Amino acid sequence: MSNEKPAAIQRDWLAKTLAGATLGFTLAIGCSGLLDGLLSSMALGARGQLVMWSVAPVWMGVFSGVYFFRSGARAWAWLGAANLLAFGAPWAFRLG
Amino acid sequence: MRSEVIRIYKRVHAWTGIVAGMALFIAFYAGALTIFKEPLARWVAPPHAETAMSLDEAQTLIVRALKARPEMAKDFHLYLKSAEHLPAGIGWQARPAGADEHDSASARHYVATLDATGAVRIEETHPSRLPEFIDTLHRVVGLPVDNDPSRWVMGVVAVLYALALVSGVIVLLPSLVKDFFALRVDRNPKRMWLDAHNVVGIVSLPFHVVMALTAVIFAWHDGIYRVQDTLVHGGRWANAFQRPGGPSRAAPRDPAAMLPPAELLSRVQAFSPTFEAGALQYLQATGPRAAVRVWGHDPGAHSPRALGGFVGLDPYSGKVTSTDFMPGKQDAANATVASFFALHLGTYGGTPVQWMYFLLGLAGAWLFYSGNLLWVETRRRKQAGDDSAPPVQRRDARLMAAATVGVCLGSVCGISLAIAGGKWLHVLTGEANAGIVPLYYAVFFAAVIWAFLRGAARASVHLLWLAAVLAFAIPLTTLLAWLFPSLGLWAHGSAAALGVDATALMGGIGFAWLARVAARRAWHGPRDSVWSALAAKPPRKTNR
Repeated sequence: MSNEKPAAIQRDWLAKTLAGATLGFTLAIGCSGLLDGLLSSMALGARGQLVMWSVAPVWMGVFSGVYFFRSGARAWAWLGAANLLAFGAPWAFRLG
Repeated sequence: MRSEVIRIYKRVHAWTGIVAGMALFIAFYAGALTIFKEPLARWVAPPHAETAMSLDEAQTLIVRALKARPEMAKDFHLYLKSAEHLPAGIGWQARPAGADEHDSASARHYVATLDATGAVRIEETHPSRLPEFIDTLHRVVGLPVDNDPSRWVMGVVAVLYALALVSGVIVLLPSLVKDFFALRVDRNPKRMWLDAHNVVGIVSLPFHVVMALTAVIFAWHDGIYRVQDTLVHGGRWANAFQRPGGPSRAAPRDPAAMLPPAELLSRVQAFSPTFEAGALQYLQATGPRAAVRVWGHDPGAHSPRALGGFVGLDPYSGKVTSTDFMPGKQDAANATVASFFALHLGTYGGTPVQWMYFLLGLAGAWLFYSGNLLWVETRRRKQAGDDSAPPVQRRDARLMAAATVGVCLGSVCGISLAIAGGKWLHVLTGEANAGIVPLYYAVFFAAVIWAFLRGAARASVHLLWLAAVLAFAIPLTTLLAWLFPSLGLWAHGSAAALGVDATALMGGIGFAWLARVAARRAWHGPRDSVWSALAAKPPRKTNR
């Protein structure tokens, strides 16, 4: 176990808030796309509504959790990576 | 959890709370009342001529009314149970082109009934806009119109609400076990307010999680659907609800060929014996794709909308065409989507759940009020000792206290006056609808101005007394209508209407009690606080 004191958490209000608002939203849209893929056997009318509703918990969950990140830069990096994964996964599957 | 994280979330909680708190107070107070939108509509509705109509006459009425007014074929309702606000007969609305779909204020309402000779009588009616106005205050956090810009404001408030909720829980978590059952009513008033704020927040947490997530969706659904149509549905979303078959130029069908309402209802009864029908909504009745929606409730199931749910039928064949919105008969996906609406609207479990939502809504309003009080209390300047003079309180604390008192109590007073005014304006001017909105905002802004002029300590006492008086004005209006029929007022004796009077009476007693407590605090409480009427006056600004 290291005795090193963990680095101080930077406040970075604006960077974290913007990351939560924008990348949180796009991540929620990306996840809703994955959910849409999972539910593809369902009729579009009901599926589209369920998928739309799924945006709120993901977006708000990410947005409210974003202040746990050490810094604004980390928030942008991690959420950016998560976005790439959410949008890239279906695309990669289609190729593979 | 690291204390640093807790500190950061304390800031998040304070800022989101203070920015959105007053808007949320109005949303929750008006929302709690909106749970009883129908009783309010019944309480305020002017009396209409009693026209009893048997279900067997309904078909004749529909056919004759359609002949007289072919344009109503687009969309009309047959009401099965008449009430103070609903005539026995059919009703429809005409909306001006280009009106916002959420804005019902611009619609004109018509009612068709049969007179004694069997002739159709068509009248324009003027249903009170009061219940819809309170609902609008709720939906767009105190703004007058439910349109796109208002919903953006509401959307920002909804997001701040969600952030405040989660950050508040994170802040409380480390000390939850220690703090939860503690209500320390001792000499430290801040501790007591904080304990009470925490207890109410945690106890109603599931309710607030539901409200925050659904409010975000209610505000942003148009935008989310648009983004998802491009990124997820590949542009097919717009067609998801279109029924097959293009527009046809076929001659209008003969409405007399439709199955009579009694027959349609018995088909529904056979299809779902527990479904209790309340109204039939006919869509494109003379068109090739005529549909009838039988609206109602199922006591054993949740309803997707405030008015219940519906089963779709073909009025000419009587065949059931859709159960997507029928309580108890929805498939899993539609029942899940409907549950989100039902959880927000409280349309499950009947009257007990409605009262539970009413109380949780009021508790929510109190939660935001107490949050602002805590913000102010945190910035309090304490007296150094018993002998020293009380210090002048910080300017931001004085202004926030005044704003909180003015906005919150102003909306409470305004809503009460709008309710009572819904009857008095009708008596005094013959028409109440034009005056309800100005009445509300007059009181609201007057209260806000008063709070800033007189300061939070004095204004809170005045405005609480005013809130009590205006709440009492509601049952008093009913009482006067009974005692002095010559006034031209009216009073309904149904349980729903009397329930409004009784609730307002209780509310008035509550506000009077609060006013007395606030007065005691202002004149006999510690003077080193913005809540003391005897607090040190800030130095006057000198003009340079």
